[in-house]
Amino acid sequence: MASKSNTDEATRWSVRVSQTGKDTANVFVRKHQFTVGAAAQFDEESRQVSGLEYVLGVVGAELVNGITSLARARRVEIDHAEAVIQGELNDPLAYLGVVGATGHAGIERITAKVYLSSLEDEATIRPLWDEILERSPLVRTLRPAIRFELNLKVSP
Amino acid sequence: MQSPIVVGAVIYDPKVTVIWNIIRDFFEENRCPMDVRFYVNYELMVDALIKNELEVAWNSPLAWLDAQKRSGGTCRALAMRDTDRDRISHYVVRKNGSIKSLADLRGKTVAFGAKDSPQATLIPMEWLHQAGLSVGTDCQARRFDVKVGLHGDHVGGELDAFQCLASGEADASVMVDLNWDRWSQDGTISPQEFIVLGSTGRFDHCNFSVKQDFPAEREKQFLDALFSMSYDNPKHREMMDLEGLTKWEPGRTSGYDLLSRSVDRLHFFEGAMK
Repeated sequence: MASKSNTDEATRWSVRVSQTGKDTANVFVRKHQFTVGAAAQFDEESRQVSGLEYVLGVVGAELVNGITSLARARRVEIDHAEAVIQGELNDPLAYLGVVGATGHAGIERITAKVYLSSLEDEATIRPLWDEILERSPLVRTLRPAIRFELNLKVSP
Repeated sequence: MQSPIVVGAVIYDPKVTVIWNIIRDFFEENRCPMDVRFYVNYELMVDALIKNELEVAWNSPLAWLDAQKRSGGTCRALAMRDTDRDRISHYVVRKNGSIKSLADLRGKTVAFGAKDSPQATLIPMEWLHQAGLSVGTDCQARRFDVKVGLHGDHVGGELDAFQCLASGEADASVMVDLNWDRWSQDGTISPQEFIVLGSTGRFDHCNFSVKQDFPAEREKQFLDALFSMSYDNPKHREMMDLEGLTKWEPGRTSGYDLLSRSVDRLHFFEGAMK
């Protein structure tokens, strides 16, 4: 039986973040690292992945990894899962510090479309989907807080 | 260390800040440190200029007149793009329609842009007035007040006005020559269906404005950096393409007469234009 301190350690995640350049931070986690750019980025040519893009990526990864993992556990066959996630700020001009902006810099809406390739019918897949929405940490956190539109499409 | 020159700009789209960041970096590299402050509309930016919260304002023509009015006519126009000079706006009609001259607009409906758009409303209305047609009396206006406060920077109003013409709800629409050229090329406007009926007189567009007491040494520093941009330099060309110019020119104020007459006649700054 694990001691309390060991349990806490296993369920608390920690990363170290170090600013490394203009609008660039390196994130160190266990033996890995990745680079994050500005919180939001409007330049298509930007070399960095923005914080907001990481968040959208995590939402999508939670959904596609989550549902395929759960399907494996329940012996439901899913050949492939893919998600398209879009996000919008309430007022991008507020994020940019534009004088007179009336909104706020927070996320206003996330739209997630998940496409599953499976020979199973939707009635079999749908309970897995509902369950994974409850069990995905970021999705579960964001859904009550913002406009979160979710769409699942199953096709052979 | 010299304090940065504070430059103000109005933005209607977050992507516009990307252009300004490139310009700021260019000025930094050319020994002219610059801070850029963004505003959601020209009124706020002119407020900031008058209150000395910024030193140089990238003003629309209407904002220039506003700044002049509020400073007692003491602002100066330092520089402008070559493409800001000698613009015209077109009255566009159906090619096979019954309207063959400006006089034929009598009793008809003309679609304009936003009420504060110099190029798509104020100057074209003045030009019609000078041609003997009073909008509201001799012809009707359909106005498309898209993003008022941006002085027509946002092309939405002009595009909506053209679509009003295209749908048959107006007999003519107004747009600046650059949009006519662009939309004729990209297929938005079919030159087989629509033609330019007539055009306004020439007018100037944006300029970098300062108050009278902007220090001479800072002005020189700003202009030296600005005028060092060269379209022949590939590094500069990308930036200049984004800003829509091939050369920076000295500021001039002779191209604002039509607009000035319009705002006076319409009592625009007194809020008479609803």
